[in-house]
Amino acid sequence: MAILFFFPNLVTWASECNVSVLYAGSLAAVMENGLGPAFIKATGCKYQGEAQGSLGAAQMIRDHIRTPDVFISADPSVNQTVLMGPKNGNLVKWFTTLAASQLVLAYSPQSKFAAKFEDAANNKLPWYEVLEMPGVRFGRGDPRIDPKGYRTLFLFRLAGQYYHHPEIPALLGDPFNPAQVFPEIVLMARVESGQFDAGIFYKHEVVAHKMPSIALPPEINLGDQRLSAVYARESYTTPSGEHVIGSPILFTITIPETVRHREGALSFVRFLLFSDQLLEQFGLGKVAHQVGGDMSQVPLELRGFNSGAYTP
Amino acid sequence: MTRRLKPTFIAFGLLGGLLLLNLVAPIINLLFQANWSGWMASLSQPEAREAIRVSLLASGISVLIMALLGVPLAYVLARVHPPLKRLWISLVFLPLVVPDLAGGILLLQMFGPYGIVGHPLDARNIELTNNLAGIVLAQLFVAAPFVVVSALAAFTAVDSKLEMAAAMLGDSRWQIFWRVSLPLAWPGIAAGITLAWIRALGEFGTTLIMAYNPHTLPVYMFIKFESDGLPGALPAAFCLVLLAAAAVAVSMLLSRLTGFADVVAPLGETGERLA
Repeated sequence: MAILFFFPNLVTWASECNVSVLYAGSLAAVMENGLGPAFIKATGCKYQGEAQGSLGAAQMIRDHIRTPDVFISADPSVNQTVLMGPKNGNLVKWFTTLAASQLVLAYSPQSKFAAKFEDAANNKLPWYEVLEMPGVRFGRGDPRIDPKGYRTLFLFRLAGQYYHHPEIPALLGDPFNPAQVFPEIVLMARVESGQFDAGIFYKHEVVAHKMPSIALPPEINLGDQRLSAVYARESYTTPSGEHVIGSPILFTITIPETVRHREGALSFVRFLLFSDQLLEQFGLGKVAHQVGGDMSQVPLELRGFNSGAYTP
Repeated sequence: MTRRLKPTFIAFGLLGGLLLLNLVAPIINLLFQANWSGWMASLSQPEAREAIRVSLLASGISVLIMALLGVPLAYVLARVHPPLKRLWISLVFLPLVVPDLAGGILLLQMFGPYGIVGHPLDARNIELTNNLAGIVLAQLFVAAPFVVVSALAAFTAVDSKLEMAAAMLGDSRWQIFWRVSLPLAWPGIAAGITLAWIRALGEFGTTLIMAYNPHTLPVYMFIKFESDGLPGALPAAFCLVLLAAAAVAVSMLLSRLTGFADVVAPLGETGERLA
């Protein structure tokens, strides 16, 4: 407390053009190396980003331990279940879809199975056959804390049907299988340092970290909005009782009621909605910007981007 | 004579009081927000109890290893004066300046399934990450310096004339260590061990990378924080504070029972006691 008195710069003051963005952890490299600097360059505003798990980040906003100007989630449902509606204090009233992504199987070039994974990437070998080889270590997100965790469960179940190979989902074992399940940054550290052979990641993570990877068919990779009916065949109930239905991977952006720098927030959201090409460079997919929640609450400045209502 | 506080002490007291407030206020605030029955209920869930068990077991093992290896190292550094002594001592400090997450990655590259040490063992089906061994390795890395540094300071402070006297009376080095050096240095060593134990109990970043499973209490707290938000994490935070307090209490009790001075003595009252 005393220190703050002597060094006021330790805390940020509301001032000119500023924006603080709380975003889904998987976007860290895209935000800090790409979009953040591009936004600063384009507008001259100050940008402050923070990566957290989508669900965790939303809880932090609801519990009043973060007050971001902009919130980017890796799953539209996080807005709906944690931040919208009277039981959540109406902290978010609208959101708009920002970009799509898809699941890929990334592998370590140092892995002793690297040649096999490369064959799979060149369609010489089915990817799941490499994962079935004895001794292969692959990791995935934790369904308790990370949308990518339960999306990976959907991926493997869909793959079992798609390839008519019912053993594929069994590769995962228990949803929380301790040999496979890790927080995002830990899994990335393990595969990048060559201590794990492979892992399920979003395509944009793999692009940002320049990791070799195997693309998966749209019927199972949750990356194609036209296939939402297929994805919706799968569902998962979290330990805290939340029922999640399979859906295309969509990142959403919103200005929550915690906003302190309204001007900065507006120009940041506008900038991102204009940046489809930049997003694609980072491995994200272009989407029509649909609005979820209360359309009338969308700031006037952003309505030009609207292309209809988002329906899950 | 009436004791009047000198202005210097008043000023220092005020400055120190500010710091103390900064240290203690968050914990007192936590207690004010307490929802005792709810916390107890969530701490009695099987996953929470398992996390407490894992934390106690792992930190217990770590502390034993740290004491068994760290005290001899400190004694050698204090008495033998090896060449490049300062270098060795600064190497002991090294883990203290490595950030937690970086420490985890460094350890992973050593002990991971494809690490320098981990790989040969992995071929024999011995794994050193993502299990109790991984937790212990992480805790050793971050907490062992506390034992070595405190023991080194404690051994250095032991009057070497006492050891010489014992030697002249015919004691061997081994006997001198057990009869003279260790008892005299013990309060300082015990304080170091207690600090290391608390550090190991609360260790998060390095453990997260080395062993996400089985969950220690701090990792369990992270999961609850991510999945259930603040209400999920607070009981675990409270439990960690309790465990740290218990660790201090246990080590104070142990030093009472063993007849040695208070653990906290070298941090405070030694001078008065000796006087």
